[in-house]
Amino acid sequence: MRKRKVPALLLLAAVFFLTACGGKSGDPNHTVLTIMGRSSDLEKSYMTSIFEQYEKASGNSLDVISFKDDEFEERASEEFRTGNVPDLFLHFHNTDLNRFNVSANFYYMNDESWVSDLTDGSRAYCTDKEGNLLGLPFWENSISGCYYNKTLLDSLGLKPASSQAEFDVLCQVLADTGYTPICWPAKDCTWMFQFGLDPVFADNPELLEQLNRQEISYSDIPAVTDMAQWVADAAAKGWFGSDFLETGWSDISPLLGSGGAVMTFIWDTWFYTDFSGDNNYSVDDFALMPVFMNTADEGTYEGGNLNMMMVNKNSGQLDAALDFLSFCASGEHYNTAFDGISTLNCFKGQTTNIQSPMVTNAAESIKAHERVSTAASRIIGYSADDVASAFGDLLRGKTDAAGCVRLMDDYRIEDSEKQNTTEQ
Amino acid sequence: MKKWFRKLLPLFLMCSVGIAAVLIGVTYFDFISRRIYNDSTGHLEEIYGQVNRSFGSFIKTNWGLLESWGDYFSLAEQSGSGSFSSASAPDGKTSDPDDETLDLDSETLNSDGKIPDLNDETLNSDGRTPDPDDETLDLDSETLNPDGKIPDLNDETLNPDGAGAVSDPSPDEETDGSVPARAQSEEADPISAFIRAEQDYWGFSEFYFLSEDEICMTLSGQKSRMKLGGAWSNLISEKEPLMASETISTGHEVIVFASPVPHGEYKGFGFDAIAVSYTNADMADSLNVDAFSGKAKCFVIHDDGTVLLSTQTGGNVFDNYLVYLKAASDLEEEQLNRLRSDWQSGTSGLLQCRIGEVSLCILYQPVGYQNYILLSAVPQDIISAGFLSVQKTTISVLIVIFLLVGTLIVGPIILRSRKMSLESRRELQYRELMFNVLSNNVDDIFLMLDADSHSVNYLSPNTERLLGIPLQAARDDIRVIGRCAADGDIVIPKKDLEAIPLQSSRYWECEYVHQKTGERRWYRMTIYRMKIQKAIKYVIVLSDRTEEQQMNQKLQEALTAARSANEAKSNFLSNMSHDIRTPMNAIVGFSVLLEKDADRPDKVREYIHKIAASSHHLLSLINDVLDMSKIESGKTSLNVDRFSLPELLDDLSIILMPQAKAKSQSLEIYVQGAPSEQLIGDRLRLNQILINLLSNAIKYTPDGGQIRFQVSELPQVSHQYARLRFVVQDNGIGMSEEFQKHIFSPFSREISSVTNKIQGTGLGMAITKNLVDLMGGIIKVQSAPGVGSTFTVELSFVLPEQEEPDPWYRQKVTRMLVADDDEDICLDIQEMMRDSGVDISCVTDGMAAVEAAVQAHHCKKDFHVILLDWKMPGMDGVEAARRIREQIGADVPILVLTSYDWADIEEEAREAGISAFMPKPFFASVFWQTIAPLFLDHVEQMNCGDAEDGVMEGRLFLVAEDNELNAEILTEILDMEGAGCELAVNGLEAVKMFENSEPGHYDMILMDVQMPVMNGYEATRQIRACSHPEAKTIPIVAMTANTFAEDVRNALDAGMDGHLAKPIDMDAVRETVSRLMTQKGEDK
Repeated sequence: MRKRKVPALLLLAAVFFLTACGGKSGDPNHTVLTIMGRSSDLEKSYMTSIFEQYEKASGNSLDVISFKDDEFEERASEEFRTGNVPDLFLHFHNTDLNRFNVSANFYYMNDESWVSDLTDGSRAYCTDKEGNLLGLPFWENSISGCYYNKTLLDSLGLKPASSQAEFDVLCQVLADTGYTPICWPAKDCTWMFQFGLDPVFADNPELLEQLNRQEISYSDIPAVTDMAQWVADAAAKGWFGSDFLETGWSDISPLLGSGGAVMTFIWDTWFYTDFSGDNNYSVDDFALMPVFMNTADEGTYEGGNLNMMMVNKNSGQLDAALDFLSFCASGEHYNTAFDGISTLNCFKGQTTNIQSPMVTNAAESIKAHERVSTAASRIIGYSADDVASAFGDLLRGKTDAAGCVRLMDDYRIEDSEKQNTTEQ
Repeated sequence: MKKWFRKLLPLFLMCSVGIAAVLIGVTYFDFISRRIYNDSTGHLEEIYGQVNRSFGSFIKTNWGLLESWGDYFSLAEQSGSGSFSSASAPDGKTSDPDDETLDLDSETLNSDGKIPDLNDETLNSDGRTPDPDDETLDLDSETLNPDGKIPDLNDETLNPDGAGAVSDPSPDEETDGSVPARAQSEEADPISAFIRAEQDYWGFSEFYFLSEDEICMTLSGQKSRMKLGGAWSNLISEKEPLMASETISTGHEVIVFASPVPHGEYKGFGFDAIAVSYTNADMADSLNVDAFSGKAKCFVIHDDGTVLLSTQTGGNVFDNYLVYLKAASDLEEEQLNRLRSDWQSGTSGLLQCRIGEVSLCILYQPVGYQNYILLSAVPQDIISAGFLSVQKTTISVLIVIFLLVGTLIVGPIILRSRKMSLESRRELQYRELMFNVLSNNVDDIFLMLDADSHSVNYLSPNTERLLGIPLQAARDDIRVIGRCAADGDIVIPKKDLEAIPLQSSRYWECEYVHQKTGERRWYRMTIYRMKIQKAIKYVIVLSDRTEEQQMNQKLQEALTAARSANEAKSNFLSNMSHDIRTPMNAIVGFSVLLEKDADRPDKVREYIHKIAASSHHLLSLINDVLDMSKIESGKTSLNVDRFSLPELLDDLSIILMPQAKAKSQSLEIYVQGAPSEQLIGDRLRLNQILINLLSNAIKYTPDGGQIRFQVSELPQVSHQYARLRFVVQDNGIGMSEEFQKHIFSPFSREISSVTNKIQGTGLGMAITKNLVDLMGGIIKVQSAPGVGSTFTVELSFVLPEQEEPDPWYRQKVTRMLVADDDEDICLDIQEMMRDSGVDISCVTDGMAAVEAAVQAHHCKKDFHVILLDWKMPGMDGVEAARRIREQIGADVPILVLTSYDWADIEEEAREAGISAFMPKPFFASVFWQTIAPLFLDHVEQMNCGDAEDGVMEGRLFLVAEDNELNAEILTEILDMEGAGCELAVNGLEAVKMFENSEPGHYDMILMDVQMPVMNGYEATRQIRACSHPEAKTIPIVAMTANTFAEDVRNALDAGMDGHLAKPIDMDAVRETVSRLMTQKGEDK
């Protein structure tokens, strides 16, 4: 399904035609830029806001080409194959991007004026392994880590951990005291494992490359097995509680809110979108420390997965497209677009967005230990569901840590063969 | 008393020994546990006392070092030399700055320069820390510069500008030259070199210069803010050394020891204090205790509970241990307050608490500096491990002792007791054996139940024999016995059981079914509620009362039967009284009227007609009563003989058709299929059954109604038997459902406005039912008021073994035409004639029959027989016959099939050319009988109805009749018929009169049966036996009121030739005479 305009723009277009009929439509300077992306992404309020601002300010138009989320990758790559490459392309920096022949199709933005305004995290996310900035990150940003009930911890005379060893001690003390240390939603949540794997591959890019070239496997990386063993041990010690295999997405909020669990590995915006906070504890009772999964002694945070606006370097309207990005990267414009949105900064000059106090308070720690989302985005054949399935077998006692890692490998290789994609 | 004492003595002794052993054990354990616990906690206190002292010494050492370094810095600044030499002596000892407080024994330090483990052997043998007065820190010797001077902070080896602003490269970094960076740095900065040397020796992780504005600087020049737990003022203003926890930039915590020093400046950074830091892990190592299996945890805390450091492997996660105890332990608020108070007052103490599943022993001692407390937490079971081991050993020893003592003291008593018990048990076994034998041989079941649990304590083994249930099943669940009850399940409510007074009983009568044989037996269940050994028990005895019950039952039945018989007799008399009096009343009444109106012929005829009707009703009532009486007395037997079903149906038709016709009813006799025609059974009883049903149908069906009588044969289950179904269906007044329930009871008549007008005895259906039962059949009724009734009778008859051979004339008939508008009848005829080989053509109207006959004639294939239904739509059978005769002549026999009396049309039919009549329903045997004369060329006189006319005329009868009135009536009747008679008043006289008569004098003897002197049977036998020439041939007919089949058979057995029932029916007399006279003639 190809929608020519997002619904939110229909009114704008109507106003445009009513007020400028016979004007710019016939203006030879009037430019129409095509932008392609997922329908749900393009309908975000800050996206429609920046489009609106741009069209109003420049007099140019944006032809928005959107595809259903579940059809996007197939439909968009088909468009690229048939030469219908849009002027602007909205995509996450993940392995699916390899379908679109990045080096041949997109403009590197290392020298753009707005680059210095990007936060380190957002810039790192949009940069490829050669150090090229692939696009403008224009998206909600969040930080994933270990969110813990500070009020509860304080009431127990306990401190957050600053190392893996301390974290383990903290979990055991909590368990000994009768608390469930970690809410581990094993039933239907899959993201926890990528947090643990991020340091392994973000800190060792050569491992990532070797893995993606199928030269090595997870089993060849001791840290992966260490992580699996830690998860198995944690479950065995009761750190995830007794019925974590039946704990799912819908249970996280009540468990954290009631004090039924003290910590969980999640992202900050979850507290503003899904945490009810109508139980014993509210969002103000929580704080952030790194995720410890036995892969980084000092712990790790995962930066947000950001949508990038990329420019077709072969477009006849390259300058206009780059101008559009500059428009978006202007403080005045992005602050208007993100006004009141709960997100971390993508731009240093962002002031109107709402930042979580939990993240603000942990800024120094985040700065020291944040890593770009690597495992889920950069490992070819990585599937969060597959990894969770392998860990499911581990946690149900069907296999051991080494077996779990072998399963992860099997799934990864199978998926990568299915994708039949290699890095360009 | 003696016996009682002897029984209880062993028990008493055993209890005494046991109690003594327990008391000794408890006392011993209490003593041992207290002693061992005290020793354990004392050991704990001693160990951590040593740790505490060592830790205090460690603090003091660090502060002493810092103070001495401050002195050096101060001296160096004062001397202006500005250069320091390394403090590390080649032998690993530091130089002594003349401060005795720093004169530590070198053995307190590890050989690698790390902080010594306080549990290792660096401690003195007395457990105390080494003497700090030793000369280990003698800094004034070789540890100073090679030139023997104190390193000078203003030495030119500092930055060229002397400001000290040059940053110190990391000790590990290397310059691009071959000389290590640190060596270069040390060469350039003697202070740095000195501190590095000290660091290598003492093992601290970092050295800091501290300014009064809370800024610290490392040797490398990195500056940062240091909080020192908010104790800056103490350090700077009060000039007190301190120890504090500090979180450094990596997020890790370190322990900082700081000491005020005279103001100095290093690399342009003015400082008033200096500090060293240790990582938590290093500090933890210094406090770790190898004892207690490594499960002891040690903390250094402030007096408010804030944790400075802990020995927790992995790191410290405790912020405030007091808060933790409050939240996680089972300590009460009061205990926590006392703990806080102890800590604030610097008091040592020991307490126990529980955290989660673990019991902890918490020991706290003041460190002696800055209100720090050394707190250790050790799991209770670890402390008590030794005690538990001793406890186990002690228990084992005690058990052995107890067993030995017990064996020696109690053994002989037990042996004696056992012997007595054995005897007692044997006696019990004998008793039980005897009881089992007894119970096995009586028909009473014994059972003992626990009142609370209802579990079976005892169940006698004869249960299985008497009730047919497995013994174990009943023992497992007593309800199994209850389920054997004949009426389902016996459950005696608990309240009923509990209501039985103690030591009393109550009984219930129950009927049980033997589960294997199905035999029903009566038991009296007597339940005793007893108290046995303080427990309430129910002792239950199930006594077999079957014989008694059966006797009672028989008596009851006899009583009931007697009452019933009496009631029946009363009812019978009542009914009979009514039913007999009613017609009698009419007879008497009309007789009176007859006398009065004798001169009025019309009235006379009317009264006579009514008297006759009442008489007939009275007669039928008497017949029925007698019949019923005979049946009910069981004296009725069947007179089984071969008979013809067609003949039976023909007779029925003859008898009943006029009745139906009189009420303008249609009576259809319909035979379905081809039932067996020759049967063996009691024709008379069958006739009686069917007449009863059909006459009832006629009687209870209004004028113009329809009655259908259908006969069919059910599928054969045996070649020897035929089971026939007779269905009598009418659309009469019907019966209510209620009445149908007792329609077959004697004297049952439905009371309604319609039935009241219809005469009946109410015995007909009862007789019918009894006869059907007697013949082994079934009778069913379906009826609805206003709709009609359907009676169905099914009876089995024996089939004759041999069929009669086919007569020769059957071969002459191979083609036959049948015309009937009812296609079913055509099909039935084809079915019945199937075996005869006759080719039957069927048509359904008269015209078609004519056409078929004519066509066959023209083809010269005339039918051998033409069978025409009389009543057909369009052209009836007679007309069709006429036309056929006109076309084909008189050669082909034409028969008319009719269910009607053909007397009215006979003449017309003959004229039309009809050869013979056949009654409906069609039967093959009747057909062949009918056509036989036609083929014999012997034209039968069709006027068969006149055979009996004039048969009586001129006859002379010998009448044996003792009743004068009856004799007179008979004489008159015979006279009316033109016959004469001679009377004999008894059997003997009749014999004599016959013997004395001339041959041919008498035509027939009418013999009463019950007569004085000689009865009719005997008289007959003597007549037959006499020498009279006609003794064997003279027809003798019984003339009696005994009308049962047995009476008929008895008459025939006696030699009589016939039987006429009284009162005399002249039609019957004529028929009998005609038949017998014909036979007599044939015999001749």
